Amino acid sequence: MTKIDSERTKVAVPARGKLPSVKRIGGWHAVGPIVIFLAILIVVAILTPAFIGSGGLAIIASSSAPILLLALGQAMVLNVGSIDLSNAAIGLLGAILLALTLGPVAGLSPVIVLLATTAFGAVNGLIVAYAQVPSFALTLGTLGIFQAVALVASGRTTVYVASNGEGIHALYESGIANVPMTFWMGVLLAVSLWVLLRYTRVGRGMTAIGKNESAAIFSAVRTRSLKVLAFALSGFAAGLAGIAIIAQAGSASPTGLGSDLLLPAIAAALIGGTSISGGVVNPLTVIFGALTVALVPIATTAVGIDAQAQSLVYGAVIIGVVALTMSRNKSSIVK
Amino acid sequence: MSDVTTTPAVLHLNNVSKSFGSNRAVRGVSLSIQPGEVIGLIGENGAGKSTLLKILSGNYRHDEGTIAVNGREVQFRGPADALRAGIGVVHQEQSLFTNLTIAENIEVNTPIGRGGVNRLGLYNWRRLYADAAQALDLIGSHLNPKTRVSDLSFVDRQMVEIARAIRVSAASHTTPLVILDEPTAILERTETAILEREISKLRDIGSVIFVSHRLDEVMRICDRVVVMRDGELIADRAVDDVTEEELFRLMVGRETHAAVRSRRSIDPANSPVISIHDLTRAGSYADVSIDAYPGRILAILGTSGSGRESVARAIFGAEGFDSGSVSIAGYSGRQLSIKKAVALGVGYVPAERKTEGMVGEMPADQNITLTHPGSAALGPFELPRRRLSLARAWFEKLDIRPREPEHMLQDFSGGNQQKVVLAKWLNSSHLKALVLDHPLRGLDPGAAETVNAQIRSVCDEGTAIILIPDTIDEALDIADDIVVMRDGRISGVFDLGHDNPATLDLLERML
Repeated sequence: MTKIDSERTKVAVPARGKLPSVKRIGGWHAVGPIVIFLAILIVVAILTPAFIGSGGLAIIASSSAPILLLALGQAMVLNVGSIDLSNAAIGLLGAILLALTLGPVAGLSPVIVLLATTAFGAVNGLIVAYAQVPSFALTLGTLGIFQAVALVASGRTTVYVASNGEGIHALYESGIANVPMTFWMGVLLAVSLWVLLRYTRVGRGMTAIGKNESAAIFSAVRTRSLKVLAFALSGFAAGLAGIAIIAQAGSASPTGLGSDLLLPAIAAALIGGTSISGGVVNPLTVIFGALTVALVPIATTAVGIDAQAQSLVYGAVIIGVVALTMSRNKSSIVK
Repeated sequence: MSDVTTTPAVLHLNNVSKSFGSNRAVRGVSLSIQPGEVIGLIGENGAGKSTLLKILSGNYRHDEGTIAVNGREVQFRGPADALRAGIGVVHQEQSLFTNLTIAENIEVNTPIGRGGVNRLGLYNWRRLYADAAQALDLIGSHLNPKTRVSDLSFVDRQMVEIARAIRVSAASHTTPLVILDEPTAILERTETAILEREISKLRDIGSVIFVSHRLDEVMRICDRVVVMRDGELIADRAVDDVTEEELFRLMVGRETHAAVRSRRSIDPANSPVISIHDLTRAGSYADVSIDAYPGRILAILGTSGSGRESVARAIFGAEGFDSGSVSIAGYSGRQLSIKKAVALGVGYVPAERKTEGMVGEMPADQNITLTHPGSAALGPFELPRRRLSLARAWFEKLDIRPREPEHMLQDFSGGNQQKVVLAKWLNSSHLKALVLDHPLRGLDPGAAETVNAQIRSVCDEGTAIILIPDTIDEALDIADDIVVMRDGRISGVFDLGHDNPATLDLLERML
């Protein structure tokens, strides 16, 4: 009785015999985001063959780097059933701190920035886990705080890297297969997180929290520490995004590059197959989520869609793609 | 209403079938129910009971066969059609809006129309309360319709559900058919008695299909019992012509083979694994002292207000306490956390299996290694291949079916899920005690028997078991020690090695 009552189990399972052969590892969740990205790419290639020929792919990859890094952090937080609305603000603050400190402390600066952004994320996580403030409300609040700090730190203007910027800049200038290192940094992070989730007990504990937090608690999973870790990883990824921004632009400002990455990064995580209600994530497909999010505006321009209509097309495509790829395994209530 | 008694059958099913893909969940079921009859429907999990009920409630459409209500053939397009035909279902998991009043819950399904409770889209509150009171009166309940459902006890909520189920047919003056889907699965014994009384009242106004796993209840309440197995209706007997043992055999397809447990008194040379002393939690329980010994099953009996569940959770560190002490394997601390309890070798099988016991959307093998990775771990890593072979070994040992540990745990039947939850704790290299909170809840008798057999063998290997059983019989069946609690205090302690308490004696100490 118990199992048939759950509507998610669409097929009544006989007491004996085989279980329905669904949800093999892979399926649409593994390939959906890749298929969608390639499909859009093919449409663009047919409409404007020149776009692909003239290094369009490299442009997409390089412009997707900050989105990818933020989306990976966001995906880790979504996986434990929370959300981090402050990660783009942390990333931007990281970029400003990097621009400010590169001159004085040079090579130590990225380390300081990453430590700081990781700590910011961890503070989010500590408050969510121990004070039990809902993550949506908390990070909405810290989003404002980090923005305010960014404004003060930057003196409300654009902060340029005064000196020692060559090393960071090289991340964007040099690359593999014509694609800048900032993007490969994201790929490396994605692979690391994939290993974490798939092969470590820490990763599986996180997924268990997202799927059923009560059961995780009753199974002695260290739910609080793991939540803090998820937010800290989000902060760390945001710090990398900050570095990617500086590498690309050489400067940072509270209103410049990176100030409006929050929603694209969430969209990238969702298009990458992440469940918004927790417990389902694959960092590798998030790569294609980020590529898709970066591709759409570039493609609309390349295809020659009217400037006024671009937001409309962007919005419509994002809705459509999320509808196609988002995991609904666990969608009793989609928040 | 008296004229409807002349119609031949309230419900008549002829050769009804329903398939999901290649799985024929219900096969050629024929069944006839007379007015005033109480029919017991029994069968193992997965036997097709739920599917049949969902056909009757209009949630599923049958593929073949005919359904006639009061002599007229019907074709339900949705639950509303079934309700209008007089078929009301009280689901196992309650579906009331707890933030609304009783009256609003009862009237939620009544059609909009002239003279109804809904005028121009607005509630006619006076009418609403009056109609709800009438529906409650019909089933002999005296609840105040203005009460919020959140303030009601579980049994009272069950009554509201029944009132809601008969409300539509009462309005259209058809004989109601009330389907109760395991209404007693999570009730304590005293509450069950109340519900039984209420069900017998339903006889006067309509018919009842009573789905239950408790065969003794079915025998007491029903006139006739129908048994389903593998989607087919394999037996239809008057209760006078059948015994509990026979019903068990029909359901499961084999004889019961529960051995009588041979018991010994507590060996004075042994020291307890878990010893709680004067444990008190304000408003829940007070001065509770219990010793649990290795190789013994200790059952705690009590009603829902006895505080026994809270005591069990305190031992696992899941709930705090105000004073007293819990010592586990020599460690004694003022406050205990789940992590500490687990590190000391305690396992806990919660009553709420789906929400607390297991991660349904994770494969079974990952559930098994969630707490104790055992040989699947390599430092911080866990190797999927080793995990799978470890899980396979547990599937073999505990006879978990089907033998596919890579499948989502939610796809398994209740009994097999419960065995996976057990395996999660048995995978510990240092398990010393297991706390089992209603381990048989919602399991059919066949599954319950195999879970019980596993509990026994775990115990025999030297683990101390603390059991919160569903029934007194379950305690008498399996326990070595029985502690009875009443209103948060211990009212009786029995060592079944030399005591032989009667059911009535235990019941008296509970109430």
